[in-house]
Amino acid sequence: MTWRQGVIKSGYAETGSAYWQLPLVICVPTLPSVLRPRTSPYLFDWLKVLMVREGSSPGGLRPASAFVWILPAALTVIAAVVTAVLVPSDARTPVLWTGGVATVAVALLAAETARRGRALDELRRNSRTQAEVLARQEAVTVRLAEELLPEVVHRLGQAEFPEDVLASMTERLAQEVREAGLTPEFTAAHQAVLRSVLEAVVAEEDLRESAQRAFVNIARRVQAIVHQQAQELRDMEDRHGRNHEVFGDLLRLDHGTALIGRLADSIAVLGGARPGRQWSRAVPLFSVLRGAMSRIIDYQRVELHSVTEVAVVGQAVEPLIHALAELLDNATRYSPPQTRVHLTAVEVQSGIAVEIEDGGVSMSEEARSRAERMLQQAQEGIDVNDLGESPRLGLAVVGRLAQAYDFQVSLRPSAYGGVRAVLIVPQDLITTAPATGRAHGIGASSGPLDERTEHPTLPRQPTGPVPSAPAAPAAPAAPAALPRSENVQEDVPVVTERTANGLPQRRRKSRATAPAQPAAQAPTAPDTADQRSSASDAAPEVQPGMWLAAFQSGLSGEPGGAAGPKSDESSEKSELP
Amino acid sequence: MSAAGQEWEDESPERLYVITGGRTGAADTFSLDLVTLIVAKTSPRPGAQPEHAAIMRLCHSPLSVAELSAYLKLPVSVVTVLLGDLLADGRVVARAPVPPAELPDRSLIEAVIHGLQQL
Repeated sequence: MTWRQGVIKSGYAETGSAYWQLPLVICVPTLPSVLRPRTSPYLFDWLKVLMVREGSSPGGLRPASAFVWILPAALTVIAAVVTAVLVPSDARTPVLWTGGVATVAVALLAAETARRGRALDELRRNSRTQAEVLARQEAVTVRLAEELLPEVVHRLGQAEFPEDVLASMTERLAQEVREAGLTPEFTAAHQAVLRSVLEAVVAEEDLRESAQRAFVNIARRVQAIVHQQAQELRDMEDRHGRNHEVFGDLLRLDHGTALIGRLADSIAVLGGARPGRQWSRAVPLFSVLRGAMSRIIDYQRVELHSVTEVAVVGQAVEPLIHALAELLDNATRYSPPQTRVHLTAVEVQSGIAVEIEDGGVSMSEEARSRAERMLQQAQEGIDVNDLGESPRLGLAVVGRLAQAYDFQVSLRPSAYGGVRAVLIVPQDLITTAPATGRAHGIGASSGPLDERTEHPTLPRQPTGPVPSAPAAPAAPAAPAALPRSENVQEDVPVVTERTANGLPQRRRKSRATAPAQPAAQAPTAPDTADQRSSASDAAPEVQPGMWLAAFQSGLSGEPGGAAGPKSDESSEKSELP
Repeated sequence: MSAAGQEWEDESPERLYVITGGRTGAADTFSLDLVTLIVAKTSPRPGAQPEHAAIMRLCHSPLSVAELSAYLKLPVSVVTVLLGDLLADGRVVARAPVPPAELPDRSLIEAVIHGLQQL
């Protein structure tokens, strides 16, 4: 029996198919041991080969497999016939019967087994193709999740049109799915996912944008009111300038209004808009710094030190004022009330460095890095939604402005113990061209005497009498005014060529206007002003340059010469920048 | 003055309280009148506040406070405060205006008018 067990075992093991075991087990014991010399080992070897081939390569044996089930039956028949021949004749009938039944049973079993085998093959093939499809689907889905969707969000963040993004993404997705050979349903499902994600992102973006627009809108309205208020306050300050009490109250109101304006500006900036009003012309840096000071609470504690004589181009004026105001506010807020905050502006290689140094509490390294991180964050794009419960607007606003206008802001420990904030204004926002504004324009645009400083010899002679007669001021005052004005008139042509500080146009205009200014200002000046000025401008000085007087009266808004000179002025203004 | 103020507003971002440092001139003890004459004693220091420098330049020859205010386009209170600084530093000198006593008495003039009318 050892060889049969071995065959069975090997056949079972090598095919791995359980359904072969049964016919063998049935078939083999039916073989009498006498058959062994004749049938062995060829038949079983052949059977074994057949079984092995059948089991190992189900695909390749397809035509033969139809007849495989016949084999055990045929063998049983042969075995039965042989047995019937060999056994004694009286036992032949039962043997034949047994053989017949066995044959039928084996045939049935074999047929069923073969059928099941084929079904199993089919299933296996199916499951293999399904696994492949599944793998491809998984690959496409992973790509959708890990590449396409992030790209969609990114591209929407770059302000691309959602329609464009959807179209290109849908196409890419369809192409991938086609390459993977997946069904249209799958494609459609993925496109639906893409579309709904896109819609969700767009809807959120729209929501945020409309919220920001609302913010900006409200801020703009507040700004408009504040601006109006500031102008009116300024008018009132002029009107009540002589009454110190009223004037002081007006200044306080003015200050409060400026603070409100800054808050509105902050909201506008965080809403992604410009901080506020636009400046059409360059403004001196000194004015810009004082403008920043005028928007904080503790402006009296700010000490303005040396400032380089440059101007800031118009479009950067308001952002710079606002950013500096926020930094100054920070500095004054987080330092003891009795300490000073130092504000300087120096020229550096890359532009102008504005330094704000306070003697307050030193910022810990951690707080400093947190602040810098906040600045950094703001530069990457922070908006009203990200501010959180108790918004610290200041740094966010500074970061935002720095990002928009290329300011470099850094916070460092100060030698005074506090914080030293440095804001570098890039070179291209700085100009040395003539600037308007109070700070440096003041000497040039008004006053009759600024020529004196440039031509000390000329005016000295006519004004000589004045210092020499201090005891009788009333009498020499009128004569003094006369020669001075005439003198200026004579100076005009000379001075135009002798411009200094690279401010020729502006200077010339100011000089030209200077002599006529008393004429313009006299009526508006307080009525207590002595007759001196009216006497001085009455006859002698209109003579040499009547057009100048008309021009000046137009400049100062007098009704007499309003039409012509206004246009002159505007044309000149348009030339200037 | 309001037109000029508006123009100024368009021109400059700084407010008046920054120029005066928050002072209103009320506390100043200087008896500066609108017609007080101001004369500079020196030329402006470099690095001085622009308004101070402008006053120094303007006052090379005597100017009244009212005129300064008009030239600088600043309210009288502001000019007063600025002049207060300069006076405290001794960089300008203030001269009293014509004493009223030196002018003819008003009653005298009226008497003359009456006399003339009675002629």
